[in-house]
Amino acid sequence: MASNFKKKTLEEKLVVRGKKPKDFIGNKKIFFGISIAVILIGIVCNFIFGTTLDIQFTGGSMLKYSYSGDLNDTKLKSLVQEETPDNIVTFSDSKDLVNNKNMLTVQFSGTTTISTDLQKSITTSIQKEFPKNNFKLEQSSSVDATMGFSFLLKCIVAVAIAGLLMVLYVTLRFKKIGGLSAGVFGLVALFHDIAIIYFFYVIFRMPIDSSFMAVALMILGYSLNDTVVVYDRVREERKNLGYKADIKDVFNLAATKVMRRTIITSITTIAAVVTVYIVAIIFNLDSVKAFALPMIVGLVSGCYSSLCIAGPLWVMWKKREKKEKASEK
Amino acid sequence: MKRIPKPVFFIVAILILLFSYSAIFGVSYYVGDNKETVVKGITDIRWGTDIRGGVEATFEPDDGYNATDSQLDSAKSIIETRMVSSGITDYELYADYNTDRIIVRFPWKEDEKDFDVEAAIEEISSTAELTFRPGNSYANTKIGSDGDYVYQTPTGDTKTVLMNGSAVKKAQAGIDSSSQSSSKSNYVVSLELNDKGTKTFADITKKYVNQVVSIWMDDIMLSAPTIQEEITAGKAQISGDFTAEEATSLAEKINAGALPFKLKTASYGSVSATLGENSLVAMAYAGIIAIVLISIFMIIMYRLPGVIAVIALCGQMGITVAAISGYFPVFNSFTMTLPGIAGLILSIGMGVDANVITSERIIEEMRSGRTLDGALDRGTKSSLSAIIDGNMTIIIVAIILLLVFGPFNVLSFIFGQSTTGTIYSFGYTLLMGVISNFIMGVGLSRVMLRAVAGYKFARHKWLFGGVKDGE
Repeated sequence: MASNFKKKTLEEKLVVRGKKPKDFIGNKKIFFGISIAVILIGIVCNFIFGTTLDIQFTGGSMLKYSYSGDLNDTKLKSLVQEETPDNIVTFSDSKDLVNNKNMLTVQFSGTTTISTDLQKSITTSIQKEFPKNNFKLEQSSSVDATMGFSFLLKCIVAVAIAGLLMVLYVTLRFKKIGGLSAGVFGLVALFHDIAIIYFFYVIFRMPIDSSFMAVALMILGYSLNDTVVVYDRVREERKNLGYKADIKDVFNLAATKVMRRTIITSITTIAAVVTVYIVAIIFNLDSVKAFALPMIVGLVSGCYSSLCIAGPLWVMWKKREKKEKASEK
Repeated sequence: MKRIPKPVFFIVAILILLFSYSAIFGVSYYVGDNKETVVKGITDIRWGTDIRGGVEATFEPDDGYNATDSQLDSAKSIIETRMVSSGITDYELYADYNTDRIIVRFPWKEDEKDFDVEAAIEEISSTAELTFRPGNSYANTKIGSDGDYVYQTPTGDTKTVLMNGSAVKKAQAGIDSSSQSSSKSNYVVSLELNDKGTKTFADITKKYVNQVVSIWMDDIMLSAPTIQEEITAGKAQISGDFTAEEATSLAEKINAGALPFKLKTASYGSVSATLGENSLVAMAYAGIIAIVLISIFMIIMYRLPGVIAVIALCGQMGITVAAISGYFPVFNSFTMTLPGIAGLILSIGMGVDANVITSERIIEEMRSGRTLDGALDRGTKSSLSAIIDGNMTIIIVAIILLLVFGPFNVLSFIFGQSTTGTIYSFGYTLLMGVISNFIMGVGLSRVMLRAVAGYKFARHKWLFGGVKDGE
């Protein structure tokens, strides 16, 4: 079939929809700059705020009540504090729009669990002291420190194994474009995305909990797929343009051609997650909110990192490799 | 290109839609007020305690007692018996032998509004009371989660306690070697008593010889053997039509009454039923709105391939839901948690992506001047490798998560068993989602695409996202 076409020159092939491909490599300094800036801000915030681990990981206890009407805050606080003199108790309020209820979260200091007796006596004394407010225990969580930590470790080990296997897969499947380096820079993009999500948690002072793990794993998968799709196109365009073509042009062409797909897929997925987020706000579901918002950030980062981080890094590496080979001769 | 007969399009599309409809909504009919479920749908999915509400608790031996594996199994069997006696059938229960922990999760019963969480946790973990009682009269029978009868609440003579668990040294399941009969079952439970127990037991067996003395845990009758003779040596054997499992389970339960440690609550959590109900309604809204948005967007962007993509996505959702709800009898139903929903979102994203990649490729080929057939042919072929490589890497991630956090638990030598099950749920929905994406997004949507191109009405480049003919 191809013989029917006139053989195109390299110049003629480097065209997408009648235009020159976008210059991803030329703008790499801007891309790297943006990412480094965000990560730096994250690191600074991390130093100032520190990382808050959820009681799922650190151990500790939390009770959450719903109530109606207005409340005498100070009286309630001293009441709860009296029940448990050993722990320092902190309170936070939120509102449930759908059921028009107020929510009160009581957090206990320390990394041990509170006894079921204590939980019960706090609940009964609040209900007794504030009968008009219809206090009801909605959620309770009490975790022992050692258990949480081993879960965190297990997650990290699982992610590390998955990352290694993925590099192995990319190395084998993308031999034509220097598999190992492609795999390694794909992994860099993954770290980039997980770092962005992590710093998002830090900057907005959200505690790291098991939903962070779920989001991190989801973004890992999403970003991985994105990077693989970009590499696939690079592999194909490299074959089309011939092996003499500048690797920079090959990448720019491949990235420009794949960009529409990346944007459309991302818009669709992000729209779905935004829907989940908005519904969670309306229903005041903290657990879902805490999981949809970082997911949106991760999705943006995921499609950005494969085009603007993994790709340019890989091109830089290839150019250096070529130069070294040339100087050896 | 290889032609696919055009009616295939409608056949495949209708089959997919029918299947998805039955998988999502389920098939059931009413006999009077009883709902008979023929095929399980989305409402039959077992939702995790983090969504639907429920209790999760972890117990460990008090005072750092180092329990043996069999002691832990006994403690676990206590909890199991208690769950059954309080009518909770869909609980999850694990024992972690490395860290000596027992983890239990159970959702609220339907229409449960005021449930005393603290009391329930206390009750589940309280020390088991094993008793030996005369006769075997009981007040109620129930059907346990395994379908066997459970006899509850002693009445009449049986209310008297002859001996309790502290008399038991140990119980062990075994095979009766002395038995002459070569008939089907000769599994037995041998019972060994301590010094004090030996004497009491001798008195009991003397008094009740040829009568039934039943063994109870709390409120539930475990076994009702007939005393054959007076036993003075402190060793007895309970025989009956036991299977190996039944004998082991009985021995475990008897041992539980003689455990040298108490269970302490290491951690617990609960989500109220009202909060849980809210989440389910919210999920339903979010799901429907998101699917409608995706469908509109895909159809506007890609026209005919967009319609096909929406059908394929419905099919993908259908298979994934079916794999979770227990639609296929070979797969057990699966507990769906929040991370499970993250897995579902990712797999739908992958499904959208497969269709977007293909449709974009077809448009690209049409722009470079190919005919509709040529563009379809080249577009579907050249987009295949990207989709397969992308999905394969995700499958690798999903399988690792299943191995690490699931029943295989490949890292158990470092971390102990089932530290948490929620990530497993992510891996499972993701794997099922990606596999169904292979069937739908990669396989059937291409079949439909080629088949529909055979119809005359469909032979316009515009319908496939290209510019109008003649422009």
